[in-house]
Amino acid sequence: MPLVKRNIEPRHLCHTVLPRAIKNELECVTNVSLANVIRQLSSLSKYAEDLFGELFNEAHSFSFRVNSLQERVDRLSISVTQLDPKEEELSLQDITMRKAFRSSTIQDQQLFARQSLPIPLQETFDLCEQPPPLNILTPYRDDGKEGLKFYTNPSYFFDLWREKMLQDTEDKRKEKRKQKLQDPRMYDQVYRYLDLPGQVRGNERTLETEKIPRAPHDRKKEWQKLALGAELAEDDSEEALKHREANGSAAYHDRSGAPNYLDGMDGPFSLAALPYSQMNELLNRPGDRMYTRPHDPPPPPPMHHLGDINPPSMISSSSGFSDSRPQSPAQTHGFNSNTPPPPPPPLPPPPPPLPSMSGFGPRGTPPPPIPPLPVQQQPPAIPPPPAPLQIAPGVLHPAPPPVAPPLHVSSPARLQQVLDRGPTPGQSDETVLPPPPPPPPLPFPGVRSSSPCPPGPPAVPSFLSGAMASPLSHSGGKKHSASLPPISDARSVLLEAIRKGIQLRKVEEQREQEAAKHERVGNDVATILSRRIAVEYSDSEDESEFDEGDWME
Amino acid sequence: MLSVKMAGQEDPVQREIHQDWANREYIEVITSSIKKIADFLNSFDMSCRSRLATLNEKLTALERRIEYIEARVTKGETLT
Repeated sequence: MPLVKRNIEPRHLCHTVLPRAIKNELECVTNVSLANVIRQLSSLSKYAEDLFGELFNEAHSFSFRVNSLQERVDRLSISVTQLDPKEEELSLQDITMRKAFRSSTIQDQQLFARQSLPIPLQETFDLCEQPPPLNILTPYRDDGKEGLKFYTNPSYFFDLWREKMLQDTEDKRKEKRKQKLQDPRMYDQVYRYLDLPGQVRGNERTLETEKIPRAPHDRKKEWQKLALGAELAEDDSEEALKHREANGSAAYHDRSGAPNYLDGMDGPFSLAALPYSQMNELLNRPGDRMYTRPHDPPPPPPMHHLGDINPPSMISSSSGFSDSRPQSPAQTHGFNSNTPPPPPPPLPPPPPPLPSMSGFGPRGTPPPPIPPLPVQQQPPAIPPPPAPLQIAPGVLHPAPPPVAPPLHVSSPARLQQVLDRGPTPGQSDETVLPPPPPPPPLPFPGVRSSSPCPPGPPAVPSFLSGAMASPLSHSGGKKHSASLPPISDARSVLLEAIRKGIQLRKVEEQREQEAAKHERVGNDVATILSRRIAVEYSDSEDESEFDEGDWME
Repeated sequence: MLSVKMAGQEDPVQREIHQDWANREYIEVITSSIKKIADFLNSFDMSCRSRLATLNEKLTALERRIEYIEARVTKGETLT
């Protein structure tokens, strides 16, 4: 049954109450009927005028379009006649540089919203009873919501759907990043910096070939994002923030210097195997990835450490220790986030590394230089790698001193080395890491468990500044022993504070992000859906062929 | 006689009733015309909208074709 759009007003002609004092009732009825007929005619004419008006408006808009089309056709005809086939220049640059033709895909949106309601229907709607004026209670509410929303909310389902869509896009993005992390083709980036035996390198070849098809895929996704509007261009910085915010298993960020980060991820091969120069280069490569450096310091310790602390949050350079081997592969898989949490810096136990260090001999030329170094110096850490990580000490604090006794032994020694830039024997018996005295020491386990990556950037600089100050203050190694005991307590406190700060910041950032996202998206169904679909398409590798074909049209 | 008398007796009533019937018929004619007008307006609206929609489709197709031809004919517009 079609919805009545225009209702002619006097529905019944003579369903009226007749006045009593009338002699000729029939005549009265006739007159009443005639009067109603006239009213009916008037409402009919009003609706007819409205109807013709709607039709006229549509036709008018068409006339504009036709006129513009006519102009374009005229211009085209002129330009076509002027076209000279011989002049046609086909340079290779043109083929690649020219923007691919994309027809305008403007989608009609908000078709059935309140604003697009036809006038007669709006009048019918206005005849309805209004809801109770609950909005007068709005100023007295605490949560800032409108009072009427609890009685009747027309946009409820749309808001629900929008939230779901946005959440789905987020989840897809995170999934994609996790998959990328776990993807064996990441090994290619990781192992490039490591001198690994052939068994691992064997994967590199196959993975490299897979890497190439991915390039246009990412480009397409980036273009899609850009095409949808400048607002989406911010997504990348947001994603970086999100990644940092996420737990230790946060998504891996493509652009981040993944290799540096994943360095320690490989199982049997530790950074200890790397020559000092390589380590230095690795560490110094990403200028902004300061918090990745902590991983390098003690390749041996991290592995041991992993066993004690939550694996996902641990980013430790794996060492070639038999006991840590099973851990490291698990770590590589479990660890998704590209942004290493500040704490992870591995100050793993030195003792385990020592025995395995001897095993490095047969590895190859790179390993030999390093093992001898640690052997000469204290058991823990490899001095060269930690040396470049002066900044790291601040981050290293979280390295759990209390994790295990051997850890303590190694950590303080290592930290000292890091601070002093030189191997300094000694304070291995200290259970506290000397580093950044200014920042109170943080309990490492606590930081680990929180595994918040986001604070990395903000927290790290503070640590770094503290770390820098500490080396200066502890110019000699003599002060270390004295400062170690008090520093341990301070460090635990600092760790606690940092953890809380990290959590607080993470929540704030998340809130800000969500608020910003909601503001930006608005009620645009098309952009929400297209964003979601873009993420989905980029998610599935199978679609890449179809999508690439799409691009090439 | 009888018939004349009866007619004379019922004259005012019958006249009224006759008049009433005539009025009603008149009103009925008017209302049926109004209904015809309403029907006409509805069908006119429907047919007009369908034609305008067809026009719209044709215009859209033309616009897309012109866009494509313009892209083919004009030079320049590189990516960077």
